[in-house]
Amino acid sequence: MGTFQIAVDIGGTFTDGVLLEEDDGAIYLAKALTTPSDPGEGVATVVADLLAATQRATGEIRRVVHGTTLITNTLVERRGVRAALLVTRGTEDCLDIRRELRYDIYDLEATYPQALIDRGDRFSFGGRMGPAGQIWRPLDRAELSDCVQRVCSGGFEAVAVCLLHAPVDDRHEQSVRRAIEEVCPGLPVSLSSEVACEIGEYERMSTVAANAYVMPIAKSYLSTLEARLDALGADGTLDIMSSNGAFTTAELAARCPMRILESGPAGGVLSAVNCGLEEGTDKVLAFDMGGTTAKACVAVDGKASLTHVFEFGRVKRFKRGSGLPVVAPSMDLIEIGAGGGSLATINALGLLQVGPQSAGAEPGPACYGQGGEAATVTDADLVLGYLDAKRFLGGRMQLDVPLAREALNAVGARIGLDAEATAWGIHDIVNENMAGAARTHIAEKGFDARNFSLVATGGAGPVHAVDVARRLRIERVLCPIASGVGSCLGFLAAPARSDRSWSKVESLTSFNHGDFGTRLEEAGESISEDLAACGLGKEDILWRLSAEVRYLGQGNTVEVLVSSPALTAPAPECVATLFEEEYARLYHKTVPGGVPEAVTWRVSGSSKSEIKHFRLGMIAEDTSESSGTRRLYRPDVKRFEDVPVYERYAQPPGRVLDGPLVMVEPESTLVVPYPAVVTLLGSGAVEVVLRGEDDG
Amino acid sequence: MSNTIDPVTLEIIWTRLTTVVDEAAATFVRTSFSTLVRDANDFAVVLTDRQGRSIAQSTKSIPSFISTMPRTVEHFITEFGIENMREGDAYVTNDPWLGSGHLNDASLAMPLFRNGELIGFAGVVSHLPDIGGRLRNPGNKEIYEEGLRIPPMRLLNQDRADDSLIRMIRANVRVPDETMGDFWAQITCCRTLGENLNVLLGEAKIDFDQFSDEIVRRTEGAMRNAIEELPDGTYAYAIENDGPADFPGGTVRIECAVTVDGDELTVDYAGTSDQVDLAINTVPTYTFAYTAYALKAVLAPWLPNAEGSFLPLTVTAPEGCILNPRRPASTGSRAMMGHLLPPAVFGALAQIVPDRVQAVPGSPVSSIQIAARDMDRSYVLNAFIGAGQGASRNKDGESAISFPSNLSNATIEVLETLAPIEVVRREIRQGSGGAGTSRGGDGISFEFTLRGGRATGAFVVNRLRSAAAGLLGAGSGSRGRLVINGEDKDPADLYTLKEGDRVLIQTGGGGGYGALEQSSS
Repeated sequence: MGTFQIAVDIGGTFTDGVLLEEDDGAIYLAKALTTPSDPGEGVATVVADLLAATQRATGEIRRVVHGTTLITNTLVERRGVRAALLVTRGTEDCLDIRRELRYDIYDLEATYPQALIDRGDRFSFGGRMGPAGQIWRPLDRAELSDCVQRVCSGGFEAVAVCLLHAPVDDRHEQSVRRAIEEVCPGLPVSLSSEVACEIGEYERMSTVAANAYVMPIAKSYLSTLEARLDALGADGTLDIMSSNGAFTTAELAARCPMRILESGPAGGVLSAVNCGLEEGTDKVLAFDMGGTTAKACVAVDGKASLTHVFEFGRVKRFKRGSGLPVVAPSMDLIEIGAGGGSLATINALGLLQVGPQSAGAEPGPACYGQGGEAATVTDADLVLGYLDAKRFLGGRMQLDVPLAREALNAVGARIGLDAEATAWGIHDIVNENMAGAARTHIAEKGFDARNFSLVATGGAGPVHAVDVARRLRIERVLCPIASGVGSCLGFLAAPARSDRSWSKVESLTSFNHGDFGTRLEEAGESISEDLAACGLGKEDILWRLSAEVRYLGQGNTVEVLVSSPALTAPAPECVATLFEEEYARLYHKTVPGGVPEAVTWRVSGSSKSEIKHFRLGMIAEDTSESSGTRRLYRPDVKRFEDVPVYERYAQPPGRVLDGPLVMVEPESTLVVPYPAVVTLLGSGAVEVVLRGEDDG
Repeated sequence: MSNTIDPVTLEIIWTRLTTVVDEAAATFVRTSFSTLVRDANDFAVVLTDRQGRSIAQSTKSIPSFISTMPRTVEHFITEFGIENMREGDAYVTNDPWLGSGHLNDASLAMPLFRNGELIGFAGVVSHLPDIGGRLRNPGNKEIYEEGLRIPPMRLLNQDRADDSLIRMIRANVRVPDETMGDFWAQITCCRTLGENLNVLLGEAKIDFDQFSDEIVRRTEGAMRNAIEELPDGTYAYAIENDGPADFPGGTVRIECAVTVDGDELTVDYAGTSDQVDLAINTVPTYTFAYTAYALKAVLAPWLPNAEGSFLPLTVTAPEGCILNPRRPASTGSRAMMGHLLPPAVFGALAQIVPDRVQAVPGSPVSSIQIAARDMDRSYVLNAFIGAGQGASRNKDGESAISFPSNLSNATIEVLETLAPIEVVRREIRQGSGGAGTSRGGDGISFEFTLRGGRATGAFVVNRLRSAAAGLLGAGSGSRGRLVINGEDKDPADLYTLKEGDRVLIQTGGGGGYGALEQSSS
């Protein structure tokens, strides 16, 4: 037997693990409850279970890839350290002033999240950089040293530094770091030019403040984890999943924890993309639906779309602008619904409404029997026959149908509907809401939903996927293997990657080549260093240089891929041409006489990503064709009918079945309520192709 | 077909309709050349039925556009006759009285057809990159100074563009490609909306008239229920802001009387100052929009901006007053009055729903315009500065925020890239909010120096003379200030700035809420 890898994902409820045999792609799965007080315990349990199940020894672990929501939780629950913030004089209130926007103009009682660093913990000094990196006034050494003294004696556990125009020139920030290191060596310092090198002091300051706030916690967590793995005898490398869909070293992750906030969801998307690539699909809509959230992400040509700013800690769910911004490359996942726990209510217009309020895990849906009385999407799914009361969460939980009916009746009675009609109403509405949000998201990227395949993951994903796809006029739905541990499979499929970016607003017609060349070279070198730490040689790096470009006078930019796979400095007129091509694709015309200007440059280096072929290491013995029937609501004929139920992992590859049907697996249920061709693919994925409709 | 649409189908189709409108709006934002459209959502996309009744409006738009497009569509119907409307027509106007209150906003609508029959209209109203005339300035005395006025015209006649109209527009604006670009973006947006609506109606198999009746009926009913909960009676409040320097007393006064009568509500502005020879007059549609915004925020914030939501509301102002001016009044800076209407309505409603309203904010919005005077570098910088929000019973007012509009600041790093200025500070004016059991929000201190060349500066700064009042016996917020090189100045003038000049703008604090107990008694 050859070497193997282990992927571990710490989620809010479960810690998932996957062991991958490197020579044949066999995977083995394990799951344990997350242990918030000492998260490493859950990790150790999972690793031990995997080793026991495969009878392998820890010494043969070549590598562990890890993702976690713990850093995100630390931010959201505000359990970070007391950090100091050092800024240019005159910008001390920047975190409180924000962008002066309201996220809901009709909500007169709207509140906004408090900054992570209190006003009293912010310090400023003289010294000023201009927008082109010119030194308007040198740093005031006396003030700076006074400020450093106060920070070092103030009981702070970390320091964030954010000076104006640092993305253009970081000399002042570097001087500040040296000054701090001289007085109190070992105090962790985050520089805005390193953590979030982009123009716009509010978003950058918010990011560097958050980075400092969690940095000591991330550091101690990761070193404890490393020690624990060492203690288990696993002396392979520890890699950490980043939000951008690639892995990095534990050391880099500890220095810049803002880059790993969305590691779990990124893994889920990567797994969906990998499944799409395996099945030859170049346009994937990754659709993930769990108990408290439903998310979607668009991936074209094997690359998930990235966003460079996202928000955490929203005080109002689904409201953009109600959280704190973080500048970091992340998968562009949008939240399209509140998941299975979404509550059904009758609103003041006398209409049935689903979400955005959620029953959460406690008390949960009515059918959990934990005292929840309000009807939820999960209750509706149960009554429609889309869930099996005895097999929820792989049989770990028994669902109560009478309680679900009671809750549905109570809501429906107010608008004259019985339990079953209410159940379909809820399912109908929640799917329409998710499809609508996904449709808009795809349209904003300049694509047409109908050309996509939908890849469904998460416990509730396959329950809703086929109907959501039908609403989007998507014909093909794929369910990857082991979707219950999808994030882990994504970790194993992830390439190594490192990013650098810098902002400088510069017309492409009057371009400073010398400065650009220096920047590009520096970025290339530091990325190579990062990747060398991940074991990647310089000659194996796949480069991407892209530019955010706009017409002079515009606010929004368009990202243009300038150079790949080699890293070469482009001719500015060539960037202008590429920009106009992309602009025309998105908006169907260019602007006559418009002057393109570059705003931000992004360099990334990564290992070559390849399609990973996974197969389940344990084959079920039951090969019976069908395990009976289930009474299921068929929306196309608007009535309940008995449809066949199949055990997913009992079906041999190549089998073709006709929908409507239900296909069950331990972590989820694939519901095909419409006529469709359902095929078990060689890769282990299930494919559903909807039959053309006559709108009848 | 049954007589009513069941509540589940209605909810689904309504959601999809909103998606259709929002999708069209997203396309519009991405292709528009107007910074105000992009950064400040200064636009609205509206779907109406064949009578012009609003059925769905894009979710992200500022209050200015509440109910304006339906009125504009009615004017188009009157002007052209519904029987003469054809597929591929596009009607346009920027007349302040027929549109949304100033020439800078263009309202464009296209009739939508299904199976050859006109079923409704898609409309976009948005702030254009430029419409000619003098730069936007409260000093404009007549509408003729403010730019090109387009009466209701057919920009497209069955897909054929009116070249005469286009030549006329191009010759009268500073940036013809960008201004026309925004008209074409409006047309693309309406077409997208129409196509997606037809797909939806094909799949849903509903009768659009019946559907719109149902939406109007339900939204109207919900608003009537919300009004009915209020006690009958008339409740008055008055609010002041700085008027023109040459205006008697230097202030203007808004008199607001809210009358609740069963399930109907009337707001009357009798007693308000007369119209002025300054571009701060607001036409009735805009007066209605900001009044309705306040009422909806208090009574039913969750209610969609559909026609029925506003049917139970009536807003009146005597002809010739600053809220219902006669032509040729100038209206470009209408926000300076319009932004006072929400706090005026709140003040009146404080007598009956004191827990749902808030005190006067330090707004209307302040702004800076700086334009190069020397030829070696050309730039025009536009930036907004928020103020303190008024306090409410349960909550201190927010500091440094845009209210009642929703305009973003520009970051210092971007401002310094756009113009040769150094921002010395952008700070919260600690303690500038009014005292009370809840405190008013604090305003902002924004200070900069000019680092090169000469420039023209135009500053809108409010509340130099009239502070934002507190509610129910609470204290007022601090007054605003404009200080140039250490001297207090009047913002009505244009200033020539030279290298090294230092400008400080302080925006007002919001009023407090609830009297603090007197310790002396």
